[in-house]
Amino acid sequence: MASLMSSLNAPSAAEYAGDEVSAIVLDPGYSTVRAGFAGEDVPKSVVPTYYGGLEPPGGATQVLYGENAIHNPIPHLHIKNPMSQDGIVEDWDAAWKLWEYSLTSRLLGAKPTPAIRNGLNDPVDGDVMDVDMEELDDLEKPLVDNPLLMTEPAWNPVKWREKSLEAAMEEWGTPGFYLQRSGVLAAFSAGKPTALVIDIGASQLSVSPVVDGMILKKSVRKSPLAGNWISQQIRLMFAQSQPPVPLTPHYMVTSKVPVDAGAPSNATYKKYEIPPTDSFRRLEEERVLTEFKESVVTTWYHEFGRLSTSSQGMTNEERAKAAPGARPFEMPDGWNQIFQVERFKVIEGMFDHEGAYTDAENRAPKLEHTIPNLIIASLNSVDVDTRPALLANVVLVGGSTLITHLHERVKRELEAAYPNVRVRLHAPGNPVERKFASWIGGSILASLGTFHQMWISRKEYEEHGAGLVEKRCK
Amino acid sequence: MPPFKEEQIIIIAPGSQTTLAQYGLPESLTPARVRVRSRLFPAEKEGEWEPFKVRRKETKQILQEEKDELREMQKSLGEKEEDVTYEEDFVTEEGAVWPIVEGKIMDWSCFFALMTHVFNALNPPFHTPILLVAQPCWTPKEQEKITQFFFEKFKMPAFTLMDSAKATSWAFGKENALVVDVGYGKADVTAITEFCVHQTGRMVSLTDCGGEAMTRRLHEVLKSKGFTRDMAEQLKRNPICEILPQGTPLPGSGMGDGAPDTVMNPAAVASTGAIAEVESGAAIGNVPRGPGLGTEVGEEQPMEDDNEGVLDVASIVAGGKMNEYLARKEKEKQDRIVAKKKGATDASAAAAKPVKLPNSKREHATFVYEDHALLDALKNNLSIEDSAKARAVLDEGPQKRQAGAESEPASAIETNGTAGWGTARNGTIRREITVGTERFQAASGGILEYLADAIHRTISAVEDTGKRGALWENLIVVGNGSAIRGFKEALMSVLQGKYLISPSSATIFTSEIPSGISTPTGTGTSTPQPQLGPHGGGGSSVNPLLLAATTAQLPHSSPGNPVPNALNQHSHTSHGQAPTTIRFSKFPEYFPEWKDSGTEEAVFLGAQVAAKVVFIADQGLNKGYMTRPDYNEQGPPGIHYFAM
Repeated sequence: MASLMSSLNAPSAAEYAGDEVSAIVLDPGYSTVRAGFAGEDVPKSVVPTYYGGLEPPGGATQVLYGENAIHNPIPHLHIKNPMSQDGIVEDWDAAWKLWEYSLTSRLLGAKPTPAIRNGLNDPVDGDVMDVDMEELDDLEKPLVDNPLLMTEPAWNPVKWREKSLEAAMEEWGTPGFYLQRSGVLAAFSAGKPTALVIDIGASQLSVSPVVDGMILKKSVRKSPLAGNWISQQIRLMFAQSQPPVPLTPHYMVTSKVPVDAGAPSNATYKKYEIPPTDSFRRLEEERVLTEFKESVVTTWYHEFGRLSTSSQGMTNEERAKAAPGARPFEMPDGWNQIFQVERFKVIEGMFDHEGAYTDAENRAPKLEHTIPNLIIASLNSVDVDTRPALLANVVLVGGSTLITHLHERVKRELEAAYPNVRVRLHAPGNPVERKFASWIGGSILASLGTFHQMWISRKEYEEHGAGLVEKRCK
Repeated sequence: MPPFKEEQIIIIAPGSQTTLAQYGLPESLTPARVRVRSRLFPAEKEGEWEPFKVRRKETKQILQEEKDELREMQKSLGEKEEDVTYEEDFVTEEGAVWPIVEGKIMDWSCFFALMTHVFNALNPPFHTPILLVAQPCWTPKEQEKITQFFFEKFKMPAFTLMDSAKATSWAFGKENALVVDVGYGKADVTAITEFCVHQTGRMVSLTDCGGEAMTRRLHEVLKSKGFTRDMAEQLKRNPICEILPQGTPLPGSGMGDGAPDTVMNPAAVASTGAIAEVESGAAIGNVPRGPGLGTEVGEEQPMEDDNEGVLDVASIVAGGKMNEYLARKEKEKQDRIVAKKKGATDASAAAAKPVKLPNSKREHATFVYEDHALLDALKNNLSIEDSAKARAVLDEGPQKRQAGAESEPASAIETNGTAGWGTARNGTIRREITVGTERFQAASGGILEYLADAIHRTISAVEDTGKRGALWENLIVVGNGSAIRGFKEALMSVLQGKYLISPSSATIFTSEIPSGISTPTGTGTSTPQPQLGPHGGGGSSVNPLLLAATTAQLPHSSPGNPVPNALNQHSHTSHGQAPTTIRFSKFPEYFPEWKDSGTEEAVFLGAQVAAKVVFIADQGLNKGYMTRPDYNEQGPPGIHYFAM
């Protein structure tokens, strides 16, 4: 075809007349909001759920969204999160604005102001122009061209489900809307209609049995032993070390100097006239903790069982101390030390409620909140015939599952609990697939031809109202 | 046969300040041949744009009534009005619209007009594929809009979009790289692994991180000395403006606190020329005339008030005191010539002395300022002859025209006015201005720390922890905002000082003890402390033996000499943390044409390489470009399958 083209003839004008709709998938979580076009393999827009409120005393408050804005050590910047510790929305208005930001900033772009509003065409002599303002309002809504698929935790209350539909229709102007449980989508991302989905996120650890693409809502179990809880364990471990480990975030340090392990740091600190807020410091400390989780923390998955058990006259904790591979960790201020048994201990509480670090404020986790007990409780509430099918399709997803060897430990615990059943654990090797599993599942679902039949159209919404979501999105 | 030929390809790289373009790929890839200032001027008719400022040619002699009469006559004669009353001004930037702000397209009509202008300037025939370098902040929707415009306006047979960060990594030939693109209003930080851009965690459009922020900072510190924004901008582009690495004391300030305490009156210095001249003049007892301290204050006294802004001559012109000022200026100039003649030897001796010091050690330095505001003011306020005369008087001449350290490659064609201030403009007015240590403070507003933090966050967001080390070892800093002298080195010093992970002294022991034997716990006080040699200095430096042990090779430096971080070329493996080494990626040496022009615009080289691969070598097998039939079939959203 190309050879027919000559540089001397103008190409014939052929007009494009397609009207493909690309659905948008929105997967809001506690630490990040994932958004992107259906059919793609990674969400294009990943925005931190943390947002900044700039509240100078006596000045106008300002809300800042996005990665670029919230890590700036400026005074009076308060870091907030619209989600509750349960992983559901707490501050609806803030959450909705944040989600809108995640859609407009990287996916859709700001809609251009219509000519009538941009100020250039303001009547000079006070002429009142006769334009239907409502029609213009519709044009300004961000999602008029794109149907929307939103994910939700299985325990999302009805009022938020209805509100999601209402706001998506009224405020974003979407032509079609569907709400799907993130557990189902995570199973889809693994290509399984039936699966036992273990999702360890930032705020919640959940176990959801999915059978033939339907979630067994009554059997979903959740617990707070997730990413944030691990961070808290690391903090406790730091505080209980002898001497305590100083946790200094990057923004406080101008430059550091190498020091010996365990020696006090010898860094130049940055001086702030008005120090950044405590909530900002906490967010920045969390960055250091994330680095600690990535590079130091690992799971004990020895054949001798849990850390606390002992066999052959030697406790596993002693074995862990003797095991090679202690990892050093350097703080932003240069302080460094190796971590040996602590590497395992900060995560042990997820499996063994007695193995956790505790203090007066942070009690040991409840037995039923640990991963093995959560899985057992969930499976016990499921019909006995479906249990083998679920155990043969265990899907492990969520950002916190990326801790080294965690999937091996989960598998070991499952095999110990169900010695006579074949247990197969599916944990994607690609960290992106594990982190964004629900989004990817949503991307698959929303790009299927059948998605057109699933969504609640604008017309249906106008006819039946927000209550429709309970009937349609089960 | 490949569907396209090398000489047919068009590459366009739009930027918020300069748009680069080229038609045809040469045998050896060169810097962009066409450079266009990314701005247009609104034409009289709304929605139309002109590449140059068009102003009405008005002469003072014609009264308004006469003019009206004249116009009536023209109209009745059917003459075109423009022929008589309009003039194109090739120099001015007054009233220009810059469609791209911080990478975002703010004015679509103007942006499309700019693209059309660039396309027409290249003047290609029909069969030309186009590669457009896309800014990271363009959303998919915007990319579709651009695709639609290009296909429907230019009717080219094939089109593709390439991400600017990816283009940069192609130029450097690196599969893993961290690209920091410092532009004018923003910076983008992008992690690239295996030639794939990481969209998650990518820092797009970091505002207040580009050249504009540095100009603003310079203006801030120099405002009290009568600097205008334009002066600060030109100072920034001059090689005397430099960013010193973290912790370098400023010259003359002793302790490096950055407070210049000179008694020189910069206004006086500026209006009378270089310091050397003032000094030499004083030496022989012939004080040059001029306002301010250290000069003879005579008949200028009455004008002292408005002279606060001697640097800002434009306001004097606008204020109508032009003639007095010109007379004085003329006199000064003559005086100076006399003084110069008399003290020629002294002056040269005095001038020679500071030149020997490197810029970073000198307290003062002089640069030549081209006064555009003044030129505009002259044009707006005076008749042509008057303004020409005034220009001659005010121009302090190109006795030492800047060595074009930042000037554009000579081969560049400039299609709408000049592309940069480095090259001399026609009819501009040059004046010499001396600045003190403020010129080292362009980045003192915290840009480097902010950028360093963004780099750290971007790399931390890469999910594959094993890849992070490779990213830290392949930093690429491009963009014309980084062209400012010392910028890269200063950024590196911040990164090294803040983020480099040193080998831990604790690991050397655990790795040597056979497993099975209980080792000291990480937190235990029983951990034996390594015996540092005499070089230890209180444990403030890394033991080279430790480094050797953890890197399994001996450091090249002698054991008595602690390895400085900057030269730390070894990566030690005991850490799960990154970075253990921070390094800039090296620009390939096989592009001779790029040697002199610097790597700031490497994105264009990458685009050229990509165009060659996509349009010619690959022949469209891997769908690197969208053809017209593809477009007709899939429409604008189809571009996402092809864009790189």
